[in-house]
Amino acid sequence: MKPQIRSYLVALPALMLALSAHAHSPDKHMKEAQASAPDCSMMEDMDHSKMNMDDPLTQAMMKKCMKAMRQNEGDSHDDKTAATKLSRHQH
Amino acid sequence: MAFFKILSCFKCLVAAASVAVVTGVGFLFSGFYPMGADDHHNDLTYWALETLRERSIARASSDIQVPTDLASAERLLAGGADYNDMCVGCHLKPGVTQSDFTLGLYPQPPDLTQTENHQEDVSVRARKHFWIIKHGIKASGMPAWGAGHDDERIWNMVAFLQRLPELSSPQYQILSVRDVGDSGHH
Repeated sequence: MKPQIRSYLVALPALMLALSAHAHSPDKHMKEAQASAPDCSMMEDMDHSKMNMDDPLTQAMMKKCMKAMRQNEGDSHDDKTAATKLSRHQH
Repeated sequence: MAFFKILSCFKCLVAAASVAVVTGVGFLFSGFYPMGADDHHNDLTYWALETLRERSIARASSDIQVPTDLASAERLLAGGADYNDMCVGCHLKPGVTQSDFTLGLYPQPPDLTQTENHQEDVSVRARKHFWIIKHGIKASGMPAWGAGHDDERIWNMVAFLQRLPELSSPQYQILSVRDVGDSGHH
């Protein structure tokens, strides 16, 4: 195989990869991540004593938001642990 | 004498039926029927097709057993994400009044965020929803989701549909987000 053809074969997939990486910008990923999390601010603002806890709709929303909250706490805990490990490693 | 009268009447009927069949087949092949979705049926054709559809679904769904836990929170949560992935483009969500599909499809898909027929029994409506989701509807754009989804999953969507008309946009957002790690089926 000629060196010129070989270089085209290497360059073309590399160019395709670079273009696809550009198309999936970090902003897009951030938006997707935000859209895939329940927005529970409404639940936080509500007076929980006035909520009908026997209603499956309320129960479902509570479950979803509790799960998301636990997930966030877990993530932030993981971040803190990682940061602590990193600082120890640097010292 | 009476026999010949009956025979001639029978011949007339056969001749009339033959003319009707030939005319019908001729029209079929002529290409004159307007097939565009933006060229709506006349009232009589629409009524006939709608009646055919409604009666067929009512009969076919009449023996379906509705699960006793249809109103449970678990089913609502499971059905919300599937509705958002599979149905929202045509059947809308709270705060959205139209989409390209609702504007372009004919017959127009029902807006499921609006309360349906009040007089219909809840379990009858649930059975119909289940049957429609599972089997789809011919020539309407409604697919048969039963090909790739089991009955439990379809019942979860039915459970969500029952509460959908009363949901606000924030409530819908909470219930329809798919959990992290749950890739659904897509």
